[in-house]
Amino acid sequence: MGGVSFGRVAFIALVIAIFTFVIAPLLTIIWASFFVDKILTFPPTGYTLSWYARAWDLEEFANGFLMSLKIGACATVASLAIGVPAALAIERYPFPGRETVRQFLLSPMYVPAIVAGAAVYIYFIEVEILTNFQLAATFTGLVIAHTLVALPWTLRLVCASLLSANVVSEEAARSLGANALQTFFYVTLPIIRPGMIAAAMFSFIASFSDLEKSLFLVGPGKTTLPIAIINYLEWNLDPTISAVATVQIVIIAAALIISDRFVKLGKAF
Amino acid sequence: MAGSRNGGEARNWGGTALVVPALVLVAAFLLAPLALILRYSFDKYDPVKLMLGVFSFGNYVQAVADPYYRKVLLTTAEIAGLSTAIVMLLAFPVAYYISRVESQRLRGWLIILTMLPLLLGNAVRSAAWMVVMGSKGVANSIFLGIGLVEEPIKILYTPTAVVIALVSVLLPFAIITLQAVMDSIPTSLEEAGQSLGHSPLRTVFEVVLPLSMPGVVAASAICFALAMNAYATPVLIGGPTMKMMGPVVYEQIAKANNWPVGSTLAWILMAVTLVLTVLSTRFLSRKHF
Amino acid sequence: MAGVTLSNIRKDYGALAAVDDVSLDILDGELLALLGPSGCGKTTTLRMIAGFVVPTAGTVKFGEREVTRVPVHKRNVGMVFQGYALFPHLTVAKNVEFGLKVRGWDKARIAARVTEMLRWVQLEALAERQPRALSGGQQQRVALARAMANHPDVLLLDEPFSALDAKLRTQMRTEIRELQRQAGITSVFVTHDQEEAMAIADRIGVMNHGKLEQLGSAEDLYKRPVSRFVAGFIGKCNFIEGRVTGPGQFETANAQVLRFSGEHAGGPAALCFRPEHATLAPSGAAGTSSTVRVTSVTYLGPVTEYEVVSEAGDKLLVAAPSSGNVASPRAGDKVSLTWRVEDAFVVD
Repeated sequence: MGGVSFGRVAFIALVIAIFTFVIAPLLTIIWASFFVDKILTFPPTGYTLSWYARAWDLEEFANGFLMSLKIGACATVASLAIGVPAALAIERYPFPGRETVRQFLLSPMYVPAIVAGAAVYIYFIEVEILTNFQLAATFTGLVIAHTLVALPWTLRLVCASLLSANVVSEEAARSLGANALQTFFYVTLPIIRPGMIAAAMFSFIASFSDLEKSLFLVGPGKTTLPIAIINYLEWNLDPTISAVATVQIVIIAAALIISDRFVKLGKAF
Repeated sequence: MAGSRNGGEARNWGGTALVVPALVLVAAFLLAPLALILRYSFDKYDPVKLMLGVFSFGNYVQAVADPYYRKVLLTTAEIAGLSTAIVMLLAFPVAYYISRVESQRLRGWLIILTMLPLLLGNAVRSAAWMVVMGSKGVANSIFLGIGLVEEPIKILYTPTAVVIALVSVLLPFAIITLQAVMDSIPTSLEEAGQSLGHSPLRTVFEVVLPLSMPGVVAASAICFALAMNAYATPVLIGGPTMKMMGPVVYEQIAKANNWPVGSTLAWILMAVTLVLTVLSTRFLSRKHF
Repeated sequence: MAGVTLSNIRKDYGALAAVDDVSLDILDGELLALLGPSGCGKTTTLRMIAGFVVPTAGTVKFGEREVTRVPVHKRNVGMVFQGYALFPHLTVAKNVEFGLKVRGWDKARIAARVTEMLRWVQLEALAERQPRALSGGQQQRVALARAMANHPDVLLLDEPFSALDAKLRTQMRTEIRELQRQAGITSVFVTHDQEEAMAIADRIGVMNHGKLEQLGSAEDLYKRPVSRFVAGFIGKCNFIEGRVTGPGQFETANAQVLRFSGEHAGGPAALCFRPEHATLAPSGAAGTSSTVRVTSVTYLGPVTEYEVVSEAGDKLLVAAPSSGNVASPRAGDKVSLTWRVEDAFVVD
C-alpha cells in the first residue's frame, strides 16, 4: 500500500522500538553473561566464560539445572502418555460432552499459576497427612504438577495435528482389515508424529520454564532452575545469574527450533 | 470438521476410555485441590491447630475490610490496570503491522519473535530486567557513562519498574490476540476508506479500531488477569515493599502457614480470572462479518 | 471530470513484469473495460489508477493533473471493490456519508447529499440498515452510492459483478451502466468476462501477460483483432496455420492457397474467421474454402455447431442456424467449408 512517506517510516520505527523493548532485556542478559567485570560496567572491559563455570560450581544451579531437565523429561513423557490417547479420544471418537471434556482438560492453562501451585501444595500436604505418602518437596510431586502444566500443550498440538490429518487413510486401513491398534501404530502415528514432537518440545518448555507451580513444591536439594534463579536474585545480582539465565534461554530456544522443524510454529498459538 | 466421525458409527467405548487418564489427572490434581482450598477459604486460622474447621465468610470480609489486605487488592488492581492500559496502546500498532505485513516469511519470524520471550519463563525475564534496571545495571551504566546523571537512579524496586517489566511480559499476549482479530478485518475495508479520502492513519482509527474492539476488550481482559496473578515480577522487580496478591498468597500459605487467608486470596484471584476469561472468550467469538 | 491517461505504465515485482509498458487514453465520460484472463495485469493497472500500487515506471494523469505518486486519499477516485467492502459497523447511510466527513461540509449538506445518493440508487428506504442485512445487488448499489457521493474524478470498479448470480449479473450491469451514463463520469472496470465487457463498455482494453494487446470497441475487437490472443479471447475463432505469401494471399500448411482481407506483412501466420461466418456446402470456390471432414454435430437450440477437421489437421468450428433440413451434414461426412473473403483476416 502506498509508497514511502514520513508517516510510514515513523510507524515502522515505532514497531521496531516496541519489539526492541521486549527483546532487549533478553539480549542484554545474554550479552552480560560474558562480561569480565563482576560489577556491571559499560562498556565491558573484556569477555569471559568464567561465569558459566562458576554457575556450574554453585550447587543450587547445577542441581537445579539437572532437576529441571529430569522433571522436564518425565513430565513430557507423562504428558504424552496421557495426552495423546486423550487427543485421540476427542478427535476420533466423538462422545457426548466432548467439547466440555476438551475445555476441562485445557483448564490448567486458565487457572492462575500461583493459585494452582498453592492449591496443589495444600492438597499434597493433606494427602500426606491422610496416607503418610509425601508428595510435597518430592520429585514425584513436582513431576505431577509439571505434567499438569504440560498436558494442555500436548492436547492442543496433537488435537490440531489429528484435525488436519486426513482421516481417509485411517478409514482405508480399517477397510483393509487393520484393527484399531494396528491402524493407530501404522497409519495414525506416523501422520501425527510431527505434532507429537512439537507437543513434546512445548511440554518440555512449559515444564522447564515453570515457576509458580513449582514454587510451593520445591525442597532442599530438590529445586528447579527457575526457582534457583529467583532465590539467587533475592540477594545477589552478578553476572553468574546472567550465565544461568542464558543457559535456560538456550535450552528453550533449542527446543523451539527442534519443534519448528516439525510443526510450523504459527499452529501452536 | 476433518477427523470426526458422524452418527451412524457404533459408539466405541474403548476409544472413549482413552480420555480417562487425563480426566483423572486433572480432576485429582487440579479440580480437587481447588475445591479443597475453596473450602479452606471459609475456615479460620489458628496458630496452634492451623485451622478450626468452621465455616465463615470472615476471610472474605477481611480481604476488603482490613486496611492491609485492601491495600494489597488496590495495589494489585492499580498496577494491573495501568500495565494493561499501556500494553494495549503499544500492542495495537505492532499487531496491526504484523497483520498487514506482506511478506509471509517476515510475518512468521515476527510471530516467533513475539512469542519467544513468553516461553522463556518469568524467572529469566525478571532476571533480565533486574540486570537492566539495577543500580549497577546496564541502564544506569549507560546513563552514568554518557553523563546523563551523576549517580545511579533508582529504577529497581519501584512501582514504575514493576509496570515496565509487566508491560514487557504482557505485550506478546496482547499482540498475538489483537493480530489474530485484525487478520479477520479485510484490507479492502481500509482501501475503501482511503479511496473515500481518509488518510491511512485516519482510516485505521475509523475502520480498523472499531472493528477490532472485541479483540481489544478480550486482550485487555487477558492482560489484566495475567498482571493480577503475577508472582516473579512483583517479587523481584518490586522488592519486599511491593505487595501484590501473588506474592502475598505465597507468603500466607508457604511462610505463615495461614491457609485460610491464603486460600481466600487465591480464590479471589481465581474468581476474577474466571470472569475475565469468560469475558474474553465471549468477545473473541463475536463475528462482525 | 476529465479523462485518464496512462503513459508507459510499468509494474515489476522482482523479475516479473505484472504490467508491461501500457499506454492508455480513457476518454472523459466513457466506460472502459479492462478485459483479460487472470494474471494479465488488469487489476494491477486499475490499482495503479486508484493509487494502491505505485508504478515502477510511467505516469498516470487525471486530465492535466499528474497523480502517479499522489497517495490514494488525495486522488479523488471513487472505487467499488470486488466484495463491495461496505463498513460492517456502520449503517448504509453512514457508509455513504463516510467520504464526506473529511470534506469539512456542514451536517445539513452531508445529510442532503447522502439522501440524494441513496435516492439515485433507489435505496432510500434502507438508509438505516446494516450492510449484512442487504442482498448482493443492494450492497453493490450502496457501494456505488458511497463511491459517487464524493464527486470523484474517476470511478473504478474491480470485478463488480463476479459475486452475483448470473441473472442478477445481467440486471446489475445494465443498471450500473445506466447510472454511470447519467453521471457522465469517466469509469474503468475490470473483468474477465468478455460478454460483460462487450455488453456495457464503450471501449475494451484487452490485456495479456501485462501487455495491452488491443484497445477498441467491441466490434473492432471482434471483427479486426490484432493478435491471435485477442481473436481467440473474444468470442470463438477458427485458426488455419500457414504463412502469408503476398498481399491478401495465404498458403496453408498443405500448400493450399487462400485469400484474406486486411493487411499483413509476410511470414508465418494464421488465417482466421468466425464460426458463424463459415458455411458447410457440398463444394466451394478456390481461395475461400477448404475440404473438411465433420467430426461432431452439437445441437444447441437456435444454433448447431459442427466440429470439423481440415486435411492439414486444423480443428475448426462452424456455427449455423439450426435448420430442419435433412441434408445438413452429419458426422463423418466430407464437405467443403467456405467463407467470404471479407470475413477472413490474418493474425500472427
